[in-house]
Amino acid sequence: MSIQPKGLIVAVALAVSCPAQNVANVVKQGEAVFSKTCATGYCHGVRGGPSGAPRLAARGFDQAYIDKVVRQGVPDTGMASFSTRLSPPDLVAVIAYVATLNGIVNPDVSVDGAGDAVSTRSRLTGEAARGARLFSEAVRGFGRCSTCHEVGGFGIPVAAPLAKVPASVAELMALRTPDVKTATMGGESMPALVLSQGKQSAVFYDLTSAPPVQRNAEPGSVKFTDGSSWRHSAFVAYAPSELAAILDYLRAVIKP
Amino acid sequence: MRFFTLLSSIVLFTIAPALAQDAGATRADWPHYGGSPYSWRYSALDQINTSNVKSLTPAWMFQTGDYAENLQATPIVVDGVMYLITAQAHVFALDAATGREIWNYRYPPVPRNIPGFIGNRGVAVADGKVFFGTKDDYMVALDQKTGRLVWKVNIDDARQCGCNITAAPMVVKDKVIVGGTGGDGAHRGYITAFNTRTGRLAWRWYVVPAPGEKGNETWKGDSWRFGGGSPWLTGSYDPALNLLYWGTGNAAADFYDTERVAAGADKTKDVNLYTASVVALDPDTGKLRWHYQEVPDDIWDYDSSYEVVLLDRQIRGRMRQALLHMNKSGLTFVLDRATGEYLGSFSVPEVRTWIAGVTEDGKLVGRNEPAMGKTVSICPSAAGAKSWNSTAYSPRTGFLYVPVNEMCADITPNDHPADEGKNYMNGDFPFKLPPGRTTYSHVDAWDPVTGKRAWSMPYKYVLLASMLATAGDLVFTGNPEGDFFALDAKNGTKLWSYQTGAGHRGSAVSYSVNGRQYIATPTGWHSSVVGALAQSLFPDQDWRLGSTLVVFALPEGSR
Repeated sequence: MSIQPKGLIVAVALAVSCPAQNVANVVKQGEAVFSKTCATGYCHGVRGGPSGAPRLAARGFDQAYIDKVVRQGVPDTGMASFSTRLSPPDLVAVIAYVATLNGIVNPDVSVDGAGDAVSTRSRLTGEAARGARLFSEAVRGFGRCSTCHEVGGFGIPVAAPLAKVPASVAELMALRTPDVKTATMGGESMPALVLSQGKQSAVFYDLTSAPPVQRNAEPGSVKFTDGSSWRHSAFVAYAPSELAAILDYLRAVIKP
Repeated sequence: MRFFTLLSSIVLFTIAPALAQDAGATRADWPHYGGSPYSWRYSALDQINTSNVKSLTPAWMFQTGDYAENLQATPIVVDGVMYLITAQAHVFALDAATGREIWNYRYPPVPRNIPGFIGNRGVAVADGKVFFGTKDDYMVALDQKTGRLVWKVNIDDARQCGCNITAAPMVVKDKVIVGGTGGDGAHRGYITAFNTRTGRLAWRWYVVPAPGEKGNETWKGDSWRFGGGSPWLTGSYDPALNLLYWGTGNAAADFYDTERVAAGADKTKDVNLYTASVVALDPDTGKLRWHYQEVPDDIWDYDSSYEVVLLDRQIRGRMRQALLHMNKSGLTFVLDRATGEYLGSFSVPEVRTWIAGVTEDGKLVGRNEPAMGKTVSICPSAAGAKSWNSTAYSPRTGFLYVPVNEMCADITPNDHPADEGKNYMNGDFPFKLPPGRTTYSHVDAWDPVTGKRAWSMPYKYVLLASMLATAGDLVFTGNPEGDFFALDAKNGTKLWSYQTGAGHRGSAVSYSVNGRQYIATPTGWHSSVVGALAQSLFPDQDWRLGSTLVVFALPEGSR
């Protein structure tokens, strides 16, 4: 399937003119992003040449089309949306670079401010950046926060979003998951976070072990009772200084 | 190459054959991804055979309507019901005799920002449930009778790990076991098991050992954290030995090893365990029992992820409990499956530049490695002498049937740093066709005991569909032009062919309902990775998309 420039919708801010040197720097940055993210052999070829995915160089694409495809992806193909996978500067840079491959000598390199939480994460520095890594790093296995919490576009949303960032590590460690019940099903009891109880099914997370399992029980086959001896235990996987860094991360990405 | 010359001189006892002649065969059902847990892809049904296959005709078709990425799944057939999954995890239960839909379940659309390729290679059916993995990295269990969701559990954060599930899961006793993708990114691969009843995690075995674990010393610095090795296909199981066999993926970074391999490492020994290896695990605990690393310091993206074929054969006068395993390079190993002992190997591609050969005890000789600042032509390409599509083994002929591709790649490494979940191939590797040929693939029959090719049928383009062997002495597969065909298993003569209207990238199966034998094949080309890469080498070809299951049988009344 080839990608054709049709049905262009996205308007790109075109008015901003930048010094030529800045454009060259951004295009150079875009080339580096392209080389790492797009020219990965199984996808596009180096310098926009043909490979697993279509050739991108000298296709006559205009920048608005490139912008749309990079940000939105192409349905039903391997071309994913990169709007949340690259930071806004990297997005702009790679779009500008692909534009130059299509003969656009002076591409628009203005960042339009369309960043979201994910790209916010990639812009973090210092303790907040460390906290972001700690929050979800793979080496911790299921002991990491992201096993049950989605923050900044990463993690699994088992728990409800945090309404308020705790003021201190002590306050963080004192947090309790609200409304954990005890589900009894087939003669077995388990701590449960109930998602819905309808005529079709009762849906809940079984919190017995990590990762939590979403169970869809047939009506009448499960009974919920208030209260549970279950306690949030993931804090033990982190040192207090690491929890402090995680708080810095939460403050940086969760808006009051 | 001489074969099986390094047998132990001490033959004090013989091991009784654990597998009967056709223990790895399927019959009325096609219950597992590889047919049986021995992964033969061989049916003992012989109603359709060399004498009547010319009469084979479509019995029914089923159009899934999901044209995202073709139909790659191996259909599972149990008690006259077929379970089929599409690329976007639309699951169907069909009457296997008529194609009538019994139920369907549509997994919710996966958000666009979830990385990874779309594709699904099949479900597992057991314990009254239908299990499958997803692009957003969940294991899902449906009720086998109704298609109702029973449980789902997150395997990993796909956005973080750049990994997900495209393989069919495998059920062993009370556990559903699966391997993930992601090993071409900065990721640490694993095989993981969940309890079939509750969905609770049973175990997770990391391909790359952590500090303090045996094998970690084969990694430089902290490169083990992102060492790849993702075992992205489906394993095999020997109930007598209670061993689970799985192939592991390439080391990461793929084409650049300076970060992961100590300078001067001895590459005739294990390097970067347990990548590019066959491993035997205890299915109850996930503990490693033995390993055999096929490619120490895999710097060619030569996964060992492919199917593990379990068979008992007389080798040099002694009955061996063996396994056959093809590395992506086409180098195929024969191992003792109780111990992992090397028994022999043979190489299937006709064009090979990555090594000069293999010693009598299985060590690679004359490694032709990609190197920084250079472009090196390597054959076979990272698409593999064979792709993920499976071989088949017939106990009647004793041959392994292999679809082999002849492609090369010009590899230019780079040294991008690891970034968790992001691409970590560290190389450009545009594919090319080897010069001086007019055909670029072949269906082969290999004798695993002698290591000799018995016959070969050349094909102009590439072959990316699985093989199916039957007791009717037939071998079935399809090509990208849309032909689904049957070969004589003894000599490779083409006996029958049917134009299905779309290219083949799936896995055919055979089963029977009420005494009538069926041959079912998924159809539909389009494949974001190897299919598209291969097609780019044949720009005049327009292989057609699709997502239709086509089921053949002999005409009613002709039996």
